[in-house]
Amino acid sequence: MLVALLLLTAAWVALTGEVTLANFLEGAVVSALLLVLVRFRGRLGFRLSKAPKAAGLLLYFLKELLLSNAAVARSILRPVSSLSPGIVAVPLDLTSDAGITVLANLITLTPGTLSLDVSPDRRTLWVHALDVADPDAFRREVKEGFERRVKEVFE
Amino acid sequence: MTLLAGLALWVALPVLGVALLLTAARIGLGPSLPDRVVGLDLLSTLGISVVAVVALASGNDVYIDVAIVLALLSFLGTVAFAAYLERSR
Amino acid sequence: MSVRELLAAVLMLAGVATAFLAALGVLRMPDVFTRLSATSKASTLAKMCIFLALAIAFDDLGVATRALAAVAFVFLTAPLAAHAIGRAAFALGVPLFPGTKVNEMPRPQGNVQADPDP
Repeated sequence: MLVALLLLTAAWVALTGEVTLANFLEGAVVSALLLVLVRFRGRLGFRLSKAPKAAGLLLYFLKELLLSNAAVARSILRPVSSLSPGIVAVPLDLTSDAGITVLANLITLTPGTLSLDVSPDRRTLWVHALDVADPDAFRREVKEGFERRVKEVFE
Repeated sequence: MTLLAGLALWVALPVLGVALLLTAARIGLGPSLPDRVVGLDLLSTLGISVVAVVALASGNDVYIDVAIVLALLSFLGTVAFAAYLERSR
Repeated sequence: MSVRELLAAVLMLAGVATAFLAALGVLRMPDVFTRLSATSKASTLAKMCIFLALAIAFDDLGVATRALAAVAFVFLTAPLAAHAIGRAAFALGVPLFPGTKVNEMPRPQGNVQADPDP
């Protein structure tokens, strides 16, 4: 509760861009009102022990984002006939809602791949990719790259 | 005029203008409704970019709020379109 | 001319170039899914670069926070929007590019016909 109040106040001060005592108090009052309004109970769902793994995931993601944007740029500029897109079914080891959501979003944000849907039994994620020469290699790449890291953080 | 404002006015805005025309062509060509929604989504991204570049060119930070509000609204618009499409079949 | 201004200019031009590439991609790609692939990340990267340029160009805590919040928001919402359109397109039965190599996703039930312009 206190952590949430402090975080909200810090956000208020940063957003208004005025580091003064008056502004800090104003932020604290607004944050307290906000917490009462949304009936905030208990604590934030975040454990500090996961922070290094989460940072690792973020760095890995930024690397993938920058490295493979060039690949998409190339496939935009090349003739259309050289494309070999496809929809691949990736089996999921993740079980939690948060884990699957984060994995699907990360896949969509990395260039060349796009998550389309999750099967109703939540065991399969269908991914559209711009370049699938080998579906099995693609599956392995997703599972060993992103899924393992997401699993370490969220499950 | 500073270098940044000059680049924003004479390089960034014309390039974004051409990009807007290309996207408009895709919205016109279709061929399916989802294609047009993809085009509209990109159009809103380009609009946000234009507003942000104008902020850089003019040095006025009010435009940043405009860009952020546009980003919030365009997301809602795209999701509403997609939900409508899925229900309309 | 300061280093900060130069950095902002480079980021802005990178963002604009990516946005242009996205527009080129949406025009050139052969079907909805490849078009979505091209636009959703290119536009995310473009917005990220331009908002970072804003955060750097204005030497102001409030502006920087708002720009970074916008970047976080874009990262959260862009994949959701792309996912929503992709799912809707698949449910509508929009035809895939004939050069598509594999399709391991079952077609929607009820055999919906693709309707090019409802």
